[in-house]
Amino acid sequence: MSHPFPHVLSLRANAAVHRGLPVVFTVDGMEVDAFEGESVAAALWASGRRELRRSPRADQPRGMFCLMGSCQECLVWVGARKLPSCQVPVSVGLAIETLAHRERSHG
Amino acid sequence: MNPIANAYDAIVIGGGVMGCSTALHLAQGGMRVAVLDRGPLCREASGVNAGTLTLHMTRAALVPYAMRAWRMWMEAEQWLGMGVLATHVPGLTLAFTEGECELVELRAKARRDYGAPIEVISSARARQIEPGIHPALLKAGYCEIDGFASAYLTGRAFRHALARAGVDVLENRPVKAIDSDDGGHTVRFDGPDGTSVLRARRVVLAGGVWIENMLGWLGVDIPIKVLINQLIVTERIRPVMRTVLSVANGLLSLKQFANGTVLIGGGWQGEGDRLRGGVEARPQNLVGNMRLAAYAVPALAEARVARIWLGLEAETADAMPIVGEVPGVPGAYVVGSAHSGYTSGPFMGRILAQHMLGQTPDLPLFEPARLLGMPMPGA
Amino acid sequence: MAEDVAAVDLLIVGAGPAGSNAALRARACGLQVLLVDENHDAGGQVYRPLPAGFSRSADASQSAEVRAGDGLRVALRSAGVDCRFDHKVWNIGADLRTDLIGPGGSTSWRPRALLIATGTTERVVPFKGWTLPGVMGLAAATILLKSQNMLPGRRTVVAGSGPLLLAVAHGIVKAGGEVAAVVDLASRGEWLHALPSLAGRPDLLWQGLLWQAKLRLAGVPMLYRHGVRTVETTDGGLRIQVDEVDATGHPLTGGECRTIAADSLTVGHGLVPGTDVTRLLRARHRYAPERGGWIAETDVDGRTSIPGLYLAGDGAGIAGAAAAGAHGELAALACAADLGRIGSETHLLERASLLAAWSRPARVGRAMAGLMALRDGAVAAIAANTVVCRCEDVTRAEIDAAATEGARDLNQLKAWTRCGMGPCQGRTCGDVAGALLALHGGSRESVGCFTGRAPLRPVSLAEVAGDYTYADIPIPKAAPL
Repeated sequence: MSHPFPHVLSLRANAAVHRGLPVVFTVDGMEVDAFEGESVAAALWASGRRELRRSPRADQPRGMFCLMGSCQECLVWVGARKLPSCQVPVSVGLAIETLAHRERSHG
Repeated sequence: MNPIANAYDAIVIGGGVMGCSTALHLAQGGMRVAVLDRGPLCREASGVNAGTLTLHMTRAALVPYAMRAWRMWMEAEQWLGMGVLATHVPGLTLAFTEGECELVELRAKARRDYGAPIEVISSARARQIEPGIHPALLKAGYCEIDGFASAYLTGRAFRHALARAGVDVLENRPVKAIDSDDGGHTVRFDGPDGTSVLRARRVVLAGGVWIENMLGWLGVDIPIKVLINQLIVTERIRPVMRTVLSVANGLLSLKQFANGTVLIGGGWQGEGDRLRGGVEARPQNLVGNMRLAAYAVPALAEARVARIWLGLEAETADAMPIVGEVPGVPGAYVVGSAHSGYTSGPFMGRILAQHMLGQTPDLPLFEPARLLGMPMPGA
Repeated sequence: MAEDVAAVDLLIVGAGPAGSNAALRARACGLQVLLVDENHDAGGQVYRPLPAGFSRSADASQSAEVRAGDGLRVALRSAGVDCRFDHKVWNIGADLRTDLIGPGGSTSWRPRALLIATGTTERVVPFKGWTLPGVMGLAAATILLKSQNMLPGRRTVVAGSGPLLLAVAHGIVKAGGEVAAVVDLASRGEWLHALPSLAGRPDLLWQGLLWQAKLRLAGVPMLYRHGVRTVETTDGGLRIQVDEVDATGHPLTGGECRTIAADSLTVGHGLVPGTDVTRLLRARHRYAPERGGWIAETDVDGRTSIPGLYLAGDGAGIAGAAAAGAHGELAALACAADLGRIGSETHLLERASLLAAWSRPARVGRAMAGLMALRDGAVAAIAANTVVCRCEDVTRAEIDAAATEGARDLNQLKAWTRCGMGPCQGRTCGDVAGALLALHGGSRESVGCFTGRAPLRPVSLAEVAGDYTYADIPIPKAAPL
């Protein structure tokens, strides 16, 4: 099936919208390019990062699902707060930790 | 002469831990037994309590009972057939103020006198055993015999055990009245087909906070106080503790299950009553309970609460259990109000059953007649 | 919670079309209003605001929906409605005391009346692989497209049932993405059958036909009477197996089966009214599958069985976005009348015109709701080792085992399997778990709902406890020795 819009390289659409400032935030210390105001979940999605955590008993990969703060799948640590990343806006200097990374760093 | 024959040797009204344990032991002793509950088994206090199996917070005089029950819970697979994830870990009761230090000493001694292996240890030693405790700890009571169970598993376990023992279990059958005569008791209850009756030579009232109502059916007036205990459980978090923790003032119970969830209790009171059940938590008591928990184990501050609920606990006028014969009603028995009733529950059921089977109970019962006319403190 | 509890006439939870219009109407009636939403601006699901710092191109033409949403946000600002955005409601007391957590900490309010307009959550009937990263809800894809201006993938399969299917598929194509296939449990016949109900909304009918035409032009395969059976990850994406199904959503034996390669799957099987608050407050509920499932009983004006508690919008039973605004206004009016702030004559007059404004779009919305009702065959087809409760990894096999052993209601199921005990408290799995339990006998009514408890959303101990010292802990009397 040929792509009708071959110029679309990234997942960020061009639907007549001016995005916020381009910023860099970190996830587990690694830099991710994004736009200020985007949800962290969406920004990670666009950067190709889909797995955010593992399920509790079956240890299966999980990522964002409902995008409305209900399902509790897309959780990340923002400092001392564990939050659904679909409800965390990207800002300058934001540092996010995935659950696994925080768990490992506690030792 | 009652035309309905005695279908059972004993009918137990109330399918919580004490009722189910009584029924199980009676059946194992050869009796034909039925258990009735207005809901499913072990869904009231027995299924929603904190599951703490501790001697620290058990009344001193009940320590011998709690110790025997502790062993029963730890060996539940054997006599119950199915475990409740009973986990043996030591228990620490914490003192953060001078006043609490005195309490720790007093409470440790009172329980040692009844056989509990509790010693008072230094803050340094306590924090070696449990590194996550707040550094402001002054001293702690330490008991090797402690632990916890997952209370919500209890109903399923007893259902299996009772079925295997040949006990008839009638769930969702609210009892309305008991008519007693020389031959026995006729129990009237509601079901999907309307009102039914069952008859037995003996009846056991095991209705927790509703024992007061049940005794009323038999014309006996013994008040049972209702405590509305708040419970808080977190979502699964990384391991932050490995013992059962309490505070010397009795107002905190803390444990972390194998699945990572942390259960916070301590008897903080919410809103509710016998009629409506536990309705909701009291805001200042939620704050207080959470502050105490996050103080005792600072790593808990960032833990997220998944659920807050309430359970009803029964207390008699002298805060001791009511286990034995219903005064003035031959063939009627009662078992309940053990305060930390889940901890000692299975053993209370055993000793009542032993008495009813004509055996010598392993430990003395708690004469219900003593409560006649005893005023409820603060009433 | 906050030590101080501030009074307010009407606290509205949810700033979607129902809540926002209710706020405007309540202000017009002279009520003190507080409008609370966990998002950073009003609009809810349907009129999702752009992220802060984003703006629309002035030269581009905007859809009616975008204009309506932007207009609503402007109206709220000009009317001076007190809005608390980025605020989470985590607890509500029987006296309607409402506890919020926001950027500045926790606050508590004592409203004389409480209006809940929190809408719906999405239902997804589980299938093998539905928990894999790369699989998201239809409503989720809508949020991604409308609000984050992002595609769900380079090549997406759009699956499930209901009107969202077409909307999402079209949204993806419009935004420059590729839809590998639309996989619809419904048949073409079901859609045709629903057309007459759209007579009340010729604009929607026209939009639907236009969207279908665009999809056809883009060469998107429309697989009617098909459902997703399994999803697996492969290098670079997903392998999605799709089967022919019958009208109940159950795979046809010997039916056509095909495999589609894509990098994302967006799937949804209908919207479910959110009942967390009404269950928490023990309002009376009824099971209404044609309205989305369990809903609190309400009268036409949105009054629940609890005095002072009102519901408006899809959370009261799915009737669609266009009806939600009028419904919110009806509830606000009823509240104003019940609080004695408008006379009964004014009330009846305004009410009559609002009812008229509500009933036509509601009829359409309800017809659409019928298209997204839960299909029994899809539930029956859930494989034994498929996870049903995502939070706790509880499989269908474990649910069936509990049911076989005698679990007859959802709360018993929860006690025996941990289904519903995780941080989402059964919001994601509850409807499907209830349907699975009912397969063993009984009915959805007898199976019931999960008992509602606080917190309505997870909150940390630190958020509730605030700053304190040991001496600040209010200690009641000590335990007996």
